[in-house]
Amino acid sequence: MLSLLRKIVSVGRVAEPAPPRPEPAAADPAQRIRTLRGSAQVRCVDAGSCNGCEIEIGQAFGPVYDAERYGARIVASPRHADVLLVTGPVTRNMAEPLRRTYQAAAQPRVVVAVGDCAIDCGEFAGAYGVEGAVADVVPVDLAVPGCPPAPDQIVAALRRVTGR
Amino acid sequence: MSVNLPGTALAVAAGLSAGAAAAALCAPDRIRVRLVGTLSALLGAAGAVAGGAALAGHTYAARLPDLFALSGVTLQVDALSGVFLAIAGAVVSATSIYGIGYASGPGRGRWAQALWPLFAFSLLLVPAAGSVSTLLVAWELMALCSLLLVVSGDPASGRVREAGVWYAVMTHLGLVAILTGLLWLGAAAHTETFAGLRIAAAGISPAVRGGVFVLLLIGFGSKAGMAPLHAWLPRAHPEAPSPVSALMSAAMVNLGIYGLVRFGLDLMGAGSRWWWLTTMTLGALSAVYGIVQAAVANDLKRLLAYSTVENLGLVLVGVGAAGVFQDSGHPALAVLALAAALLHTAAHAAFKTVLFLGAGSVLHATGTRDLDELGGLRTRMPVTTGVFALGALGAAALPGGAAFPSEWLLLQSLIHGLAVPGTLVVVVLPVTVGAIALSAGLAVATFVKALGTGFLAKARSRAAEQAHEARGSMRTGMGLAAAACAALAVLPGAAGPALARATACAVPGGGPRVSAGVARQLTALGSTLWPLMLVAVTLGALVLLRAGLALVSRRAGQRATAPLWDCGAPPLTARMEYTATSFAEPLQRVFDDVLAPESDLDVTPHAESAYLVERIAYSRAVPDRVEHRLYNPVVHTVRRAGLAARALADGSVHRYLGYGFGSVVILLLVLAAAR
Ligand code: SF4
Repeated sequence: MLSLLRKIVSVGRVAEPAPPRPEPAAADPAQRIRTLRGSAQVRCVDAGSCNGCEIEIGQAFGPVYDAERYGARIVASPRHADVLLVTGPVTRNMAEPLRRTYQAAAQPRVVVAVGDCAIDCGEFAGAYGVEGAVADVVPVDLAVPGCPPAPDQIVAALRRVTGR
Repeated sequence: MSVNLPGTALAVAAGLSAGAAAAALCAPDRIRVRLVGTLSALLGAAGAVAGGAALAGHTYAARLPDLFALSGVTLQVDALSGVFLAIAGAVVSATSIYGIGYASGPGRGRWAQALWPLFAFSLLLVPAAGSVSTLLVAWELMALCSLLLVVSGDPASGRVREAGVWYAVMTHLGLVAILTGLLWLGAAAHTETFAGLRIAAAGISPAVRGGVFVLLLIGFGSKAGMAPLHAWLPRAHPEAPSPVSALMSAAMVNLGIYGLVRFGLDLMGAGSRWWWLTTMTLGALSAVYGIVQAAVANDLKRLLAYSTVENLGLVLVGVGAAGVFQDSGHPALAVLALAAALLHTAAHAAFKTVLFLGAGSVLHATGTRDLDELGGLRTRMPVTTGVFALGALGAAALPGGAAFPSEWLLLQSLIHGLAVPGTLVVVVLPVTVGAIALSAGLAVATFVKALGTGFLAKARSRAAEQAHEARGSMRTGMGLAAAACAALAVLPGAAGPALARATACAVPGGGPRVSAGVARQLTALGSTLWPLMLVAVTLGALVLLRAGLALVSRRAGQRATAPLWDCGAPPLTARMEYTATSFAEPLQRVFDDVLAPESDLDVTPHAESAYLVERIAYSRAVPDRVEHRLYNPVVHTVRRAGLAARALADGSVHRYLGYGFGSVVILLLVLAAAR
């Protein structure tokens, strides 16, 4: 316990200074996001990713990029979530669970497709186990391109959702 | 001369018992079950009236010299008998009403029905007995009736027969111990009436009294399920028909406690300290062992039987503590401990009746007692589930349950008792407090398991899927017992004056001041429970209000329903649920050394390759370790001795005549030498 406290004191704050606030997605008429302001509960869904995107999402919520200071928070169940962070091409086995997850999330819900695979199947386009991109299965509100996208891009997308 | 209420009520009960037995044998089939059930329920009510009158201060004593050859029948009823009369009467009433619905099925013989009122009456006769011989006759009547009722369930089943043999042997060994002890006591005191014994007991040497007490502790303790003499209980209770189990567990085992209190505390005047320290230790041992076994039991009725061992253990702790305090000159504490014990006896009777009757309804509806095969009964048997939940709350000794006031009182008396000097007391009391706390905690786990895996979630078998609610009379019987549970939980204070009177019979020297103190304690406890009741009432009112609002509001129809979140991978099946086995697994692991569970994994490889598995068979059992370690060697020795003794009986008549002659000669010689 004491060593933990000591560690906290000695390491101090490692978060990078906050970049300027991006324009909130709600102001963008092309995007369908309306009501999320200030905070968002996020559930990650791995629909078939190579885990590269997951590592970056992990970084985005780590101490350096610290997405939580902008109001985004990871939760354990879609029942608690407003935002679904979906990664990877949607595989056949995950298509139905993804649909159910979408149904289970509280309204209004926002789907963020993270990574090239989620946007257009990327590397895995046309593979036998792939059902399609995320947008083929559930409506997508926001996309974060990149293979994998950098944590600051993910954070920027989340800030557009929370508006902070 | 005015009418004596307890006496009249007992006479009415005797008449009803004879009438019900006759009806069972002679009445036409159409009305038989209903008639016997009603008469038995009235018999119970008469017993409860007798007990209630005795608790209110009426006493009764009578001698009927012509009723029974040689010794006659002596009756006496005081407030202490009243407690047990009232409990037995109330339990008989509830179970008899329940029995009407339960017995309506085919295959219930007239004989089994005729035994029921006799058994019920014997339960009233034991606490009303006023002499050793009357007590012994009533005791044996009770033992025989209950034995026949146990095997009446399904005489063809091997398990029933085995349970019957165990019960028969153990109850008669207990009888032998009681018989020897009481005859010894009677011979030393030169009298056999309780009134005479009470006066003469002080003059008997401590060694004789100690010997008598040990014999009585064995005899009465085995009836009360005291470990390690409890082995008959988890066998007989599950196999007996459920109303019989309820009556045995809620009324009959109590009489073991009655015997100990009557003879140990009342007639022999508390005796020495080691008697009661032994009682306390064995009680604490029973409490912990019983509840540990209950926690891992899968058979619902076996679980309840072990819970009986636990609760009677707690009562024994109370009785033992009363003896210790009385012996060391603290009558106020002794009264408190005994009041706690008696109150716990009543509470246990109430919730155990509910639970056994509930288990009976489940068995009736599904044909199984295996908790692993049940589940999902809440929607199909809402009434049974409700009353079972109330009983489980009582058994878990949580506030709001029937057993909470008594266990609380017991703990209080033990904690106050830490001031009593003596090395052993200083060791035993805190350990006992710990044992009670441990057993209370495990009781919560046990009854969460019984209710949760038995009644909630989804059905785990076809039988449970097709369950149906219990019949009307069964619901009435369970409802009556549940009402008693609720009353004991909410208004323990009301029992104060009656308990004060009952404890005054057994713990002399308390005086009215001390008894008034107990009454006050209970009233205070009742009033501390009031906030809880307020919360419960408020919550209930809110729930009702909400339901009412939902009914009248326009939005009632627009309620959104959503499927249960199942991680996106449907469907959730009953195979994913906690079963009773898996729920108890962590406990089984913790108490591995105590329980010594047996598990067996049998892997059959494929014929073509040893690396391919064809079939895996897993079995698990938690045998009663005491039974394994203690009883099996004894049974083996007796069996070997019996085989060896065959040589003595070779079929020759001359030899047998010789044996008879020889034993008469030896007896005469002994008698001549003893003169
Ligand atoms: S986008 Fe790239 S990193 Fe992300 S899942 Fe697809 S392949 Fe992996």
